[in-house]
Amino acid sequence: MAEKLYDLWAKRNPNWEKRFEDSIIKNFSDYGKGVTKLGEAKGKLFGAGYEVFIIAFFIGLYYGQRRKLIDDSTKIKSLGQPIQYWGNIDSVKGRKAYPKLKEFIFIALVAKTDFDFIALDKGLVTPRKAVDALMQTMEEYANWGFHFMEDKLIDNPNYFYRETAFLEIFLTFDSSTTESTEDEPESLD
Amino acid sequence: MKLNKIIIKNFRSYYGENYFELSDGLTLVIGDNGDGKTTFFEALEWLFDTSRDNKSESNISEMRKAEIEIEDSDEVSVTMSFEHRGEKEISKKFIFEKDVNGAIRTRDFSFVGYEIVGSERYRRDGKILLESCFDTVVRRYCLFKGERELNVFDNNTALKTLVDTFSGIKQFDNLVELTSYFEQQSDNLVTKELKKDKKQEAVIKRLESELSKVQSAISDVRHDISIKEKAVSDYETRLRVLEENQDACENLQNINARIEQKRIEQRKLMGYINLDYNAMLLDDMWILRAFPPILSEYQKKVAALSREKRKLQKAEDERIAIEKGKQEAIQEIQKLANDATPLPWNLPDKETMQEMIDDEICKVCGRPAKKGSDAYNFMVNKLNEYLDHIRKKSEISQQQDPVKPLFENTYINELHTRSIQLSGDTEQELIMLATVIADRLAFVQSRKQDLERVNKDLIEDEDAKMQLLIQTPDLTEEMLIKNFKDFKGLSDSSKRASLDLQELKHELEELEAQKQDLKEQQNQIVPSNGIVRVYQKVHIALERIMKAFEAAKDRNVAEFIQTLEEQANIYLKKLNADDFRGVIKIKRTADGSARINLYSSNDTLIANPGGAQKTTMYMSVLFAISKITTLKRDEDYPLIFDAPTSSFGDFKEDIFYNIIDNIDKQCIIFTKDLLRYNRETEKRELDFDKINQLSCSVYRIQKSPGYDEEDLSTIRTITERIK
Repeated sequence: MAEKLYDLWAKRNPNWEKRFEDSIIKNFSDYGKGVTKLGEAKGKLFGAGYEVFIIAFFIGLYYGQRRKLIDDSTKIKSLGQPIQYWGNIDSVKGRKAYPKLKEFIFIALVAKTDFDFIALDKGLVTPRKAVDALMQTMEEYANWGFHFMEDKLIDNPNYFYRETAFLEIFLTFDSSTTESTEDEPESLD
Repeated sequence: MKLNKIIIKNFRSYYGENYFELSDGLTLVIGDNGDGKTTFFEALEWLFDTSRDNKSESNISEMRKAEIEIEDSDEVSVTMSFEHRGEKEISKKFIFEKDVNGAIRTRDFSFVGYEIVGSERYRRDGKILLESCFDTVVRRYCLFKGERELNVFDNNTALKTLVDTFSGIKQFDNLVELTSYFEQQSDNLVTKELKKDKKQEAVIKRLESELSKVQSAISDVRHDISIKEKAVSDYETRLRVLEENQDACENLQNINARIEQKRIEQRKLMGYINLDYNAMLLDDMWILRAFPPILSEYQKKVAALSREKRKLQKAEDERIAIEKGKQEAIQEIQKLANDATPLPWNLPDKETMQEMIDDEICKVCGRPAKKGSDAYNFMVNKLNEYLDHIRKKSEISQQQDPVKPLFENTYINELHTRSIQLSGDTEQELIMLATVIADRLAFVQSRKQDLERVNKDLIEDEDAKMQLLIQTPDLTEEMLIKNFKDFKGLSDSSKRASLDLQELKHELEELEAQKQDLKEQQNQIVPSNGIVRVYQKVHIALERIMKAFEAAKDRNVAEFIQTLEEQANIYLKKLNADDFRGVIKIKRTADGSARINLYSSNDTLIANPGGAQKTTMYMSVLFAISKITTLKRDEDYPLIFDAPTSSFGDFKEDIFYNIIDNIDKQCIIFTKDLLRYNRETEKRELDFDKINQLSCSVYRIQKSPGYDEEDLSTIRTITERIK
């Protein structure tokens, strides 16, 4: 049986621009420290580096803003852990696992990626192409999110050290499904 | 005894000769800290010390010591002239000299007395003269250093000494002893004689044996009582000390309990408030708060894809059917009345279809589908189609059908399945997330307000605690808490001991009654011998005399205490003028001493009298003792106090000195009261407004100016008679 699209996607590591490594990823998380040293890392806003990436992604997603990554592979880096492991462990004190979140990320990517899934099912394009498209969407949203954070930090380097700084950003987004149900559910009779 | 003059020469800070003329009433010696008040007082103590020939170098004026030449000498002396059945004088001195090496040596200690008759001075031994005019016991009630020494009943023998010295009933002791001896002797004689009496022998032996038993029991109980009384007394003493701070202890305990309670509340509230919102965005998926529109978008997109795919599949199937001439398949496919696209073959699933057929109802639209109806047949066909599909699929896979299908992948199915899975509960949860977050944040906000209130309360309690600890400067918090615990334990023990004591006393009473009864029986025996009858009568008489003396002795002590109490209350009233005074009660204790207590007008014990209250209470007793001495021994003696009023306020001081001034009693008081700070000179100077209101003699003593605190040889007390 062919591998599911989700599983193919979950094996990937998203890319991000190196410029955010020190100013944002290492600054806000224990990125690069390794699990054994997690205990030493105190006062960080997040645990693993991918957590900052997830935050950046959702900022871009909810703002509906994407930004292409820099066209220079030397200035690009990818995260250490494939998506399938994101949020699986709760080894850090006081944290709990959130394995379901990545499924929602996947859903958002499918919703937002302009890709011919009919052609995929017909076998006219490879699943790899589909996953590439999804990853690109993901990276571009996150990239915009990183730029958003960077802008905030330029104005105030301590901006995100208020305990509710990130929460407040996410509280500004509309949570209601505004569009009326254009498509009626399919009639079953 | 009345003091006339004191001359202090080269005694420590008193350089050269310093004269003090003393008035009949009050003489105040006013000096600030370090000016020489206590040195004056200690010069008198040195003079009155008859226990040893003390010529210690430390008593020599440092200034004089530094000043004298090699091989030169001078003397240290304290001289007191006084009236006591005529004019007298005592003088204690020793010589000091500087040897060739510059070292100081002392020699020639002497203690000399003089009796002055007219213009003649007759030399006497100083020690003997002092003891005869002003004996050691009396001196015990004359000199008092500070406020703490004022309680003359602070040791167990104090009352006995006092009674022996001042009540004039010491001779009763001898009489009691003598009559007791007579009684014992006569008792022995009577018993001995009665035993010889054959008729009475058995009875007397029985009585003797019983008496002996009772006497032994009485002795045991008395011993127990004395131990118990000692215990009760010890408990009371310790409780009294603890009681002084009991209010503070209880308050502290209450405040600490409140603080602890608030701290627990504070920690609990902090737990609610201190949330890691960044973690919650991920762990609790709060980040999905704005996700419902995206989920909706996904569901629509996937539904459309699924529909599109099925549409294409249907067209393909039609094409193949036509090609293969399978009309049945076309008919089957075209079963839907309005030519709508049928549902995928796998929806609803097999179990659902079977259930609807069994129940004869379409559970999608809720309408009945009775057996044989169109709807029922539709469902049966649909189920058959499902089963055919499964069967064909397995056939196809077995036959390796070479025909390439239109769709070789099922990714849209995967996406569609995911969409179906996410509808219902998950979708509902996502929609509710915004409300959940809002509620949680409102809850946190509300707890923050609670925390502010708790923090405010905590600050107030901490302030109250601080205030309390400031008010008990001698005690730390730990001591107060220990005090509180000790007090509870001691209170209980004390109560138990008191109850035990009561029982023992009751037991003693019973035994004494038994003894009395046996004695009576003994006295009732009629001896056959006439001379023994006489012995018996003599014994009865002696027994009564002994009891009379015992009772008299006891009554005398009681009377002495009563008189002392009465006199003390007269002085207390005077010393406290318009202020609250209460009533002094002097209680005899088991250990033979006495305890001075202050009671309020409604007869409740004032457990912890204030400093001034306590001082006036003790001083009243001292004045009373002095007064009784005057009455009983026809002699007076002065009272000398070093700084007795340190716990008095300004107002109390004025009244106090005015009253002492008017009590007919010679008093010397060393004090720093009546000094006032002068802002201009930045020194404490005599307060003439107050001094001029007093009629007593006043001396000012102070360090001569220009001294160096580091160099003792520059320090000298200068004395000045103010009035």
